[in-house]
Parts: sequence; C-alpha cells; structure tokens
Amino acid sequence: MYYMLASDTSARATEPFQFARAAAPTTRRGASFMVDGMGFGYRPGRDIFRNVTLKARPGEFVALLGPSGCGKTTLLNLLSGFLAPHAGTVTIDGRAVRPEMSELGYVFQAPNLFPWLSVRENVRFGLRMAGQLDPDEQRRKALQYLDLVGLSDVADELPNRLSGGMQQRVALARALVLEPSLLLMDEPFAALDAITRSAMNAELLRLWSTLGQTILFITHDVEEAVFLADRVLVLGFPPHGLDSEVTIDLPRPRDLRRTRVLPGFAELCDTLLQRIAGVMQARSTPASFVEQESVQ
Amino acid sequence: MRMPKPSWGWASLPALLLVRCMAASRVPPYVLPQPWDVAIEALRWIRSGDLGRQVGASLAREAGGFAMAVLVALAIGTAGGLSQRFRAFASPLVSLFMAIPPIAWAPLCLIFFGLGYLAIAVVIFVAAVFPMAVTIQEGVLGIVAGQVRAARTLGASPVQLLRHVYLPASLPFVTAALRIGFSQAWRALVAAEMIGASQGIGWMVAMGGQVGNASQVLLGIVLIGLIAWLAESLVFRRVERRYQAWRTP
Ligand SMILES: Nc1ncnc2c1ncn2[C@@H]1O[C@H](COP(=O)(O)OP(=O)(O)OP(=O)(O)O)[C@@H](O)[C@H]1O
Ligand SMILES: [Mg+2]
Repeated sequence: MYYMLASDTSARATEPFQFARAAAPTTRRGASFMVDGMGFGYRPGRDIFRNVTLKARPGEFVALLGPSGCGKTTLLNLLSGFLAPHAGTVTIDGRAVRPEMSELGYVFQAPNLFPWLSVRENVRFGLRMAGQLDPDEQRRKALQYLDLVGLSDVADELPNRLSGGMQQRVALARALVLEPSLLLMDEPFAALDAITRSAMNAELLRLWSTLGQTILFITHDVEEAVFLADRVLVLGFPPHGLDSEVTIDLPRPRDLRRTRVLPGFAELCDTLLQRIAGVMQARSTPASFVEQESVQ
Repeated sequence: MRMPKPSWGWASLPALLLVRCMAASRVPPYVLPQPWDVAIEALRWIRSGDLGRQVGASLAREAGGFAMAVLVALAIGTAGGLSQRFRAFASPLVSLFMAIPPIAWAPLCLIFFGLGYLAIAVVIFVAAVFPMAVTIQEGVLGIVAGQVRAARTLGASPVQLLRHVYLPASLPFVTAALRIGFSQAWRALVAAEMIGASQGIGWMVAMGGQVGNASQVLLGIVLIGLIAWLAESLVFRRVERRYQAWRTP
C-alpha cells in the first residue's frame, strides 16, 4: 500500500518537474529572516513569547513543531507583520516586516480563496495588484503556476467546485506566482488526507528545489517536519518560547519512499517526539501552570 | 425514475381571480366590482393620462426617499461592520427605530415639512434605511477575515483591498439589502400617500374609498402589487441570481 502510494506520487511528480525547470528559471535568492529578543502576548500579563530569538539562512527550509495552542499561528502572524511584537524586532533581509511586502508569501491554515474569482483569477490576483505585467502576461503566468501544482485543467472553475486539497494547491500557486523569497506556511496540509498530504509534501520539496525560497513551515506532524526540513524548531508552551532545535541532516533530494526508511529518519523523529514530550510535561508541572493562571 | 415535480405556482393567480369572480357575483358591483369593471376603470384612467401621472408621482417619491436611504444605509452599515465601537453605539438606536412602524412618523413629517414631496420621501427614507443598514452591517461582518489577510499578503493596498475584496464580497448582501429596502419603502410610500398626499397611487386608493368607487380602489391595489412584483422579479432577483454560483458552498 505504502509502496504503491510512493511510486505513484513520484511518477506524477516527474513530468511537472521538468516543466518547472523549463518555465521558471528565475531562481530567486531566498530571504533571510531574523527574530531578535521578541516578546508578545495578547493580553497584558499573559505573555505567549518571551525573548524569542530565531533566524533562518537564505534558502533554508525550517519547520516549526509544537502542540496545538502553543502559539504557532501567533508566531507566523508576528513574522508576517499582522501582529506587532511588544519587545524585540522581526526583520526580513534586515527590513521591518509588513504583510504587504513583496518578499513575503503566506499560505494559511485555510485556503482563503476569493470565491467570486475563478481559479486562474485567484492565482492572478497578486500580479494584478502589482500591475507590472500586462494582463495577458499575468494570465499566462497564472496558468504556468497552476500547471506547477497540477491544476491547469480547472483554471476556469470557481473555487467552490474544487476539493479541499485542490483548493489548498490553488492557494499555494497563488502565493508562489509572486515568487516570494520567504514563504510562510501554516499547517497548509493539515486538513488533507494522508495520501494527498504525502503527495503535497513531495510536490512542495520539488517546487522549493526549483524556486529556492526560504520556507518556514508549521506543522504538528513530526514525520512531516523531518521529511521536509533542514532544521526543526520545537515551540514550548507559553511563555517559554522556543524550546529546542534539531538539525535534519538527511540527504537531498528526499523521496517519499526512500527517505522514510533511512535509519536516521526514525531516530530524528524519536528525538523530536522526546522533545515534545518534554514540552508537554513542563506544562503540567504545577509551578509554571499556577504562575500562568495567577497572573491574570 | 423520478418525474419532475409539477409546479402549481401558475394556478394560484387564476384561482384567486375565480374565487373573486364568484364572490363578486353575490354582492352588488359597487361593493366588489368584477375584474372587467376594474379593467374598464383602468382604461378610463389610462385614456385621461391620469394613471401615468399618479404612478409617476409615486415612483418619484420612492426614488428620492429610497436613494437617500441607500446612501445613508451604506454609510451606517459599513461603519457598523468595520468598527466595533460604532456598532455598539448605533445598534440600540437602530433597534429602536426598527421597532416603530414607519407610518407612525407620517403625521410628524406632515407637520414638519408640510403636505408634499418631502414629507413622504422622509417617511420612505425612515422605513427603508434601518433594515438596509442592518443587512449591510451583517454582510460586512461576514466578510471572511482570512480573505482580507490573504489579499494583503498578495500585496493589495488599502484602496485595492476596498475595490478588489470588500466590494465584490459585499455585492450579494448589498443587493439583498436593496431588495428589502425597496419593498419596505414601497409599503411605507403607499401608506403615507393615503394619509397625506394629493396624488399618487396611495392617494388614488384612499380617494376611491372616500367617494365609493370600489373599482378605483382595486385598480390602485393591483398597481401597487404589480409594481412591487416587477421590481422584485425583474430587477432584484435577477441581480441576485448572478451570485448564486459562487455563494453556494
Ligand atoms: N486573537 C486572539 N486573542 C487572544 N488570544 C488568542 C488569539 N489568538 C490566539 N490566542 C491564544 O494564543 C494561544 C496560541 O494560539 P495559536 O493560534 O497561535 O496556536 P497554534 O499553535 O497555532 O494552535 P493550532 O495548532 O491549534 O493552530 C492560544 O492559547 C490561544 O487561545
Ligand atoms: Mg494555528
């Protein structure tokens, strides 16, 4: 069963891969981002982050792992400038971050497509806002990126005619078409079934190896994080901030079938699971818990 | 095998007419005139050119009061949808005005503005503005925050956000608001004209009642229903149908 799945997805992946190389030669340099001494809380006295520092090299694939409710989405919203930190700084390539900046691409937990626009027009949206290409060129480029995620044949459909996985792929194409140098992804495949999700993971790695962005990928799936990332960060419970980081030294290119059977794969998963268990335990110790509750 | 369900909608109007004819045959025609009596009455009004004048007068008031109401409702509804503070401030007022039947304002308007166009237009305005404002506010509140955020990360400026996200996302409920507002305004218009106007369809009905011309009353009623139905099915429903495709999940 697993074997069939793996060979199936790699077969699907080969054809568009060649296309991708031919059509998108503009391998843009990935951006570096830097979070320095950052602190944040939604309510006074209940900090979620205290003195968090993290950075990524240009072109690095960083996965962020953490239990539900620990502040992963909050961190991404700080990184994209939707929220402002109370302390410290968040910068992309040395500049203060804003949601509108062209370096930034964001794939949300939900597809968030515009239901009144066709699939192609959804992908074209950012190009239209920028207004640099003429409309025909914009449409051509939108189609090209739809092709990249394997959806050019539904270009003229409305989003509500698509399955959840297809919608999420459209959202991915919509972010990628602007060729962002930093791509933030908030559990983009969490709502998908395991089969589609593995396929999407392989597809994402393929796109990343072609386009070369820096990616910050949020997930609560340990195997997904290990399979994708160069480095995995584990987020503690508030207000601990970052708990630990693990470098994933598995060889690339990674492959759904071969990478998962490497001895290092299971080891890394195990290390991460232990870290997460540590995080969960730290939370349930009375001291930190009582401190949290009494502050409010 | 499933057969398409027969629709009996077509039969309702003839059935009504039939019952009416039967009822009318039992009472003298000056109490309940037959349809053909009404038709003759209509012909008389059309020939003299009076019908056009009355309908025109009513439509002009409707247009004026309704247009003002649309502008104000758009402002109140958008502000209420975007600002939590404004919503908290305005919602008790809106509920209060919604609870009062608009026609209750008619005497006050007549005292204030005198008999004429303005008094009736103001009653229409009051009738239409609050239901429309509420519908628009609910719609703005319902615009998916995720879509707005997605547009921002795709580089949309505030103006582009308004033009390319808020506007298309709001078209469906703005159309719904217009439909609701128009019908509220129309009802209020007829009622107000019956109280204080010297022309218009409502005046026609009231006048017919006073002089004992039942055909004229019925002609007025038919006109009121016809115009409301035309506006509903020819204008608003058609516009709304355009959004069906992307609104259904
Ligand atoms: N807008 C908000 N106002 C106040 N508190 C919030 C808000 N959004 C999130 N929180 C709180 O902040 C904490 C972190 O939320 P966040 O959404 O970042 O978690 P998450 O790690 O993304 O969880 P999940 O994996 O379930 O998506 C939670 O305890 C949540 O209750
Ligand atoms: Mg989240």
